[in-house]
Amino acid sequence: MKKALLYSICALFALPFAYLALLSLATQWFYPALLPDGLTFVHWTGLHAGFFSALAYSGMLALTIGILSTLAGFLSAQYIAWHPWRRWALVLAYLPYAFSPVIYAHCIKFFFLVSNLAGQVTGVMLAQFILCYPFAFLLFFRHFDANLRAMEDLSATLGASRTATFFRVLLPVSKDALRLCFAQTFLISWFDYGLSSVIGLGQVRTLTVLTYQYIGEANTYLAAVTACMVCFPPLLLLWLNQRFVFRSETLQSETA
Amino acid sequence: MKLLSVQKLHKSFAGKTILSSVSFDLEAHKTLAVLGKSGCGKTTLLKMIAGLLDGSGEIQLNGNYVHTLPPQQRGIVYLYQEALLFPHLNVFENIAFGLRLRKMPEPALREKVDNMLEDLGLTTQARKMPTQLSGGQKQRVAFGRALIIEPRLLLLDEPFGNLDVETRANMQDFFKKMAQQQQITAMLVTHDLKEAVRMGDQLGYLDAGNLHIFDHLRDFIADPRTGMLAESAFWQSIQDAV
Repeated sequence: MKKALLYSICALFALPFAYLALLSLATQWFYPALLPDGLTFVHWTGLHAGFFSALAYSGMLALTIGILSTLAGFLSAQYIAWHPWRRWALVLAYLPYAFSPVIYAHCIKFFFLVSNLAGQVTGVMLAQFILCYPFAFLLFFRHFDANLRAMEDLSATLGASRTATFFRVLLPVSKDALRLCFAQTFLISWFDYGLSSVIGLGQVRTLTVLTYQYIGEANTYLAAVTACMVCFPPLLLLWLNQRFVFRSETLQSETA
Repeated sequence: MKLLSVQKLHKSFAGKTILSSVSFDLEAHKTLAVLGKSGCGKTTLLKMIAGLLDGSGEIQLNGNYVHTLPPQQRGIVYLYQEALLFPHLNVFENIAFGLRLRKMPEPALREKVDNMLEDLGLTTQARKMPTQLSGGQKQRVAFGRALIIEPRLLLLDEPFGNLDVETRANMQDFFKKMAQQQQITAMLVTHDLKEAVRMGDQLGYLDAGNLHIFDHLRDFIADPRTGMLAESAFWQSIQDAV
């Protein structure tokens, strides 16, 4: 019974991905047919340069945002977690989440237009960073608790400089949190549509922007191809997280 | 010989005085046990001596002023109630932590850590990770990690507070043995009367930011604030009833 339920949940989870993959390979597939008329790789092999440039933009943006947000969040949370003004920092960090990303993008669009950053990759990057950095900060703010602070202090009394404590204690102890934060911020950027389309003014074509463009053009099969590419890295990250983060947590709880 | 000299240590938080002009001396190779209720400033006192908290006053170690030095240059190790073993390092590497910071050559480091593991009775646990140890074993590793760098002064902040009664008694014996063997100078704060009397060569009582050091054990017993009289009267009444 348990197994059947598990397989059903897995099937439910896998169904949209299977549907997308099948749609991207379909020669023709019209309602109410349950399956496509035939299968072909023509939609995959016939991809134009715009697709590869969108893939490169998305990859570059997500990678940069993931690394920058994780580093900035980690370093600033370490500094602010015990600062007298930490409550204010916490309130500020929650602010970008008061609106949906699209509304938030419209709110900040004016400043990007004035500073000539709208329609630029750097503009989209900055807008995504403004959204991802508070997320990383909030994640690490909870991570730098009294226990970690005590560990830092202990390391100092054992003779470690700030740098030595950072590299020998803080980084290794925070390894899982860093990995998790990178994966999350990477995904926020990778899946972002609202900021990319509003701040990018349609000129920064990421995979999500391209997917919506194909949908708008009623080009279902190409939209399925780009959607498949949008889904691939998250699935890879999910698998890596499951393999490394969750497994190490299970090992720790088993040995405790 | 005087090892630690503390003069007019003062600390206040948000207008509230935590330590009020605390002054005392501690002889080398002796343990000062400071008794006090929760929130009386015991931890603040230790953290200021270790350099982990700012405040006013002077601290001398072996005649040298250390209150202006950062914690890593004072030669004072501060041990917490929790063992705080580094979770990513095994027992051997936890103990070797301070020696690696000092860039000790590998053969000498291995020999020293192996000897310490033997003293701690943890030779067979060397490759284990902290999560695989019991509370008492963790605390032993924490002691080993501190003692191996031969600190000038060891500060213990209720180090056995999280242990059960039996393990706690074992750890107290273990500490007494190690302190004697390695000629350790230590300062211990606790709210446990028995622990203070058992472990301290010298006894003090911290109350409302003021530290009183007793010259003799009988003075400590006679002072009603320490609770010693009430404690012995309680046990006497039990004995009489039986």
